[in-house]
Amino acid sequence: MVGRLLGPRRARQLQRFVRNGKLTIFCLFLTVIMFRGYLGAGKFGTPEKDLDDIRETLSFIRNRAEPRRVLEEALISGQGGLKSAENAGAGSNNYAAFDITKIFRDEDDGAEEFNRDPSQPYSLGPKISDWDEQRAEWLQRHPKFPNFLREHKPRVLLVTGSSPKPCENPVGDHYLLKSFKNKIDYCRLHAIEIFYNMALLDAEMSGFWAKLPLIRKLLLSYPEVEFLWWMDSDAMFTDMAFELPWERYKDVNFVLHGWDHMIYDEKNWIGLNTGSFLLRNCQWSLDLLDTWAPMGPKGKVREEAGKVLTRELKGRPVFEADDQSAMVYILATQKEKWADKVYLESAYYLHGYWGILVDKYEDMIESYQPGYGDHRWPLVTHFVGCKPCGKFGDYPVERCLKQMDRAFNFGDNQILQMYGFTHNSLGSRRVRRIRNETSNPIAMRDELGLLHPAFKAVKFWW
Amino acid sequence: MGSGGAFPAQKRLPMTHGGARGRGAPLLLRGRQINKTLHNIKITILCSFVTILVLRGTIGIGSLVTSEADAENQHLIEETNRILAEIRSDKDPSDPDEGPERFLSLNDTFSLGPRISNWDEDRKVWLEKNPQFPNFVKGKPRILLVTGSQPAPCDNAIGDHYLLKALKNKIDYCRIHGIEILYNMAHLDKEMAGYWAKLPLLRRLMLSHPEVEWIWWMDSDALFTDMVFEIPVSKYKDYNMVIHGYPDLLFDQKSWIALNTGSFLFRNCQWSLDLLDAWAPMGPKGPLREEAGKILTASLKGRPAFEADDQSALIYLFLSQKERWMSKVYVENSFYLHGFWEGLVDQYEEVIEKYHPGLGDARWPFVTHFVGCKPCGSYGDYPVERCLKSMERAFNFADNQVLNLYGFRHRGLVSPNIKRIRNETVAPLVNVDQFDIRHAARHTAEPQS
Repeated sequence: MVGRLLGPRRARQLQRFVRNGKLTIFCLFLTVIMFRGYLGAGKFGTPEKDLDDIRETLSFIRNRAEPRRVLEEALISGQGGLKSAENAGAGSNNYAAFDITKIFRDEDDGAEEFNRDPSQPYSLGPKISDWDEQRAEWLQRHPKFPNFLREHKPRVLLVTGSSPKPCENPVGDHYLLKSFKNKIDYCRLHAIEIFYNMALLDAEMSGFWAKLPLIRKLLLSYPEVEFLWWMDSDAMFTDMAFELPWERYKDVNFVLHGWDHMIYDEKNWIGLNTGSFLLRNCQWSLDLLDTWAPMGPKGKVREEAGKVLTRELKGRPVFEADDQSAMVYILATQKEKWADKVYLESAYYLHGYWGILVDKYEDMIESYQPGYGDHRWPLVTHFVGCKPCGKFGDYPVERCLKQMDRAFNFGDNQILQMYGFTHNSLGSRRVRRIRNETSNPIAMRDELGLLHPAFKAVKFWW
Repeated sequence: MGSGGAFPAQKRLPMTHGGARGRGAPLLLRGRQINKTLHNIKITILCSFVTILVLRGTIGIGSLVTSEADAENQHLIEETNRILAEIRSDKDPSDPDEGPERFLSLNDTFSLGPRISNWDEDRKVWLEKNPQFPNFVKGKPRILLVTGSQPAPCDNAIGDHYLLKALKNKIDYCRIHGIEILYNMAHLDKEMAGYWAKLPLLRRLMLSHPEVEWIWWMDSDALFTDMVFEIPVSKYKDYNMVIHGYPDLLFDQKSWIALNTGSFLFRNCQWSLDLLDAWAPMGPKGPLREEAGKILTASLKGRPAFEADDQSALIYLFLSQKERWMSKVYVENSFYLHGFWEGLVDQYEEVIEKYHPGLGDARWPFVTHFVGCKPCGSYGDYPVERCLKSMERAFNFADNQVLNLYGFRHRGLVSPNIKRIRNETVAPLVNVDQFDIRHAARHTAEPQS
């Protein structure tokens, strides 16, 4: 057809040209793809990936054959062989491949369920207006459950918690366990009770808001508790010797770490931290919780509230409403109503942001000793943003986990020294002896005096 | 004419051949045809090879669609796994090189510490000097519950999750009953590793805390399932050790499971220190433990062949030195200070229907002990699904008793979710008096056996 238009010679030239063009394009295409395949696309199906896979499989087989860790010696092959022979064919005995979520199932056991009326605006519960009187009367009737353990020392309940389902991150539960042990140690020394929550009380108040219905429930269920101390699961005690200055708080109801000027003047969204705070068990606190809750319910309410907060507070990024920003907003806009009973503590680290603390532990050990609670020896190191239980945090995984180990050991050393031991280093799980066993243990004293400290000596605390 | 390229060549070759020869002999034609075919095949193979390479290079086999989020996800998972492997490995870069491990030989004697012979007097003096740390509080002796687990992450994530849940379970019981709790995660004595690790720990705690009257060791795989039941300590005022077991299994049959050292109480006194000293020699890792294991297998009924464990060693000690120890040991089986899980976990629904918490025995077991499940390791002695499902059931069974005060309950024994069973009220203290175990116990007469 082209030939008819242009003439035979021209047509042939054109054909040749087109053919060459096709060839060139085709070869170019091949070359580009080859280059991309070996250098650019990385690991997707290249022969290199094959080698990696093979290596991985081999090392996995090698790991399986390695001797088990020391504590797993319990009832080795002999007994194991006996039992597994009996259970042969009844299912796998290997924990590695098992998915726990296939066990979980909701069932109805016939007990009547009470739900909130969804047509009503959200509330944590029916309004109570005489809690102080109710509580005072109850305390009078129960002299064996006083709200003060000693003069100036209130009865405190430390509340923390995590999800009832396993963490998405395979090592998250281990760090939750260590963090829990850390809190148990501090509370044992300071005669503080612990409540570890693993239940979502209200599906509407999920995520960081879940603490509100829980706190209200605990205040009302434990009238003998004078102060409720909420602490996030990613916060650890790093000063075991520091006792909170309870006398300082005798006239206030809410103690958080923060700075007055950042809240009331700047309205800065990180001017305070709700990861570790004290709340007195009284009517004022119930009212505060009721004022705090409305921004919480999941869905549209929380989204809209988030927009308001981002607009009103300094430096707040765009995301749904969180309890911390909401508290900043409440204090900044209703100062006259609440501020006189709120204490923003910055003299010690009731909450200590980990980023500025964790690298200084060795310096602190050299220059100071436990008991200060402040920048010299922080009371709490709070791993904000690390989210060890989830898959993604705001910081590199390695830094978070390594630093959490260091913070844990830093605190644990103060416990171990009571018994004559210490960790080999802040990064090591192993311990070594620093004090020999003696034939006269009564005379033995631990350096920090934590075995029988004054703040533990209470008449009774249960 | 143009040159190169696979396809044009294919088209041209027959032409050239055909054009040059014209009408040749049939044999030559056949040869040419074979050549042609061979040539075509070669080209086809070459082209297919190139195509496959190219395809593999860009698309790969298996992962057809790649996106940046997936890549990042993949990268994060790999990094976490690498760090996990590093954390789990026993090697610690910061630890000094300890050299090859040396075991005690058969001729060495092992001791937990320098011999102490007047602990009772020393302790009495200390208590007098420190009235702010009495050993009896509100009429009850001070108890310290001791438990623990390994310092490294479990072999699998699910192991740590159940350690966490078991610890919460113990904390709940201890809060309700005013018991202090200590969770140990350190290997205090490298020689006494594994199940023997509790011996140096118990000794150290007894000596450091003279104000503690009873030390209660509990394994990490044991859960409280009766939150109301309280140990009847007044029953044991003339004894120094309380352990679950069966006297006939112990003395008549010499069975290696006659007693269970997963949950037992020790009084803080000289007798206990002496017992620990007598118990320890079979423990040190290496040839001592191996040899001891052989003796134990030979002496105890039903014991398989493996190294010495603390339970068999204690039974052997009680059998061989009966007169010295047994007068102060209470072998308890009127309630489940230790309850073997297999016979208990399936009965929970029946138990809820027929009985009430506070009984502590077969009707409502006090402790459900998951012997053999070993969720922290890689392999247990029982199927994984059965173990984990049962542990979840036991945990929720106990948790329901705690949540009852708050007006909640789990949605079934295998559900992590809860439902409200009591409305909020404006007078919550009525419910507190009725449902808080500590207050309710004062109003009902609990049988103290």
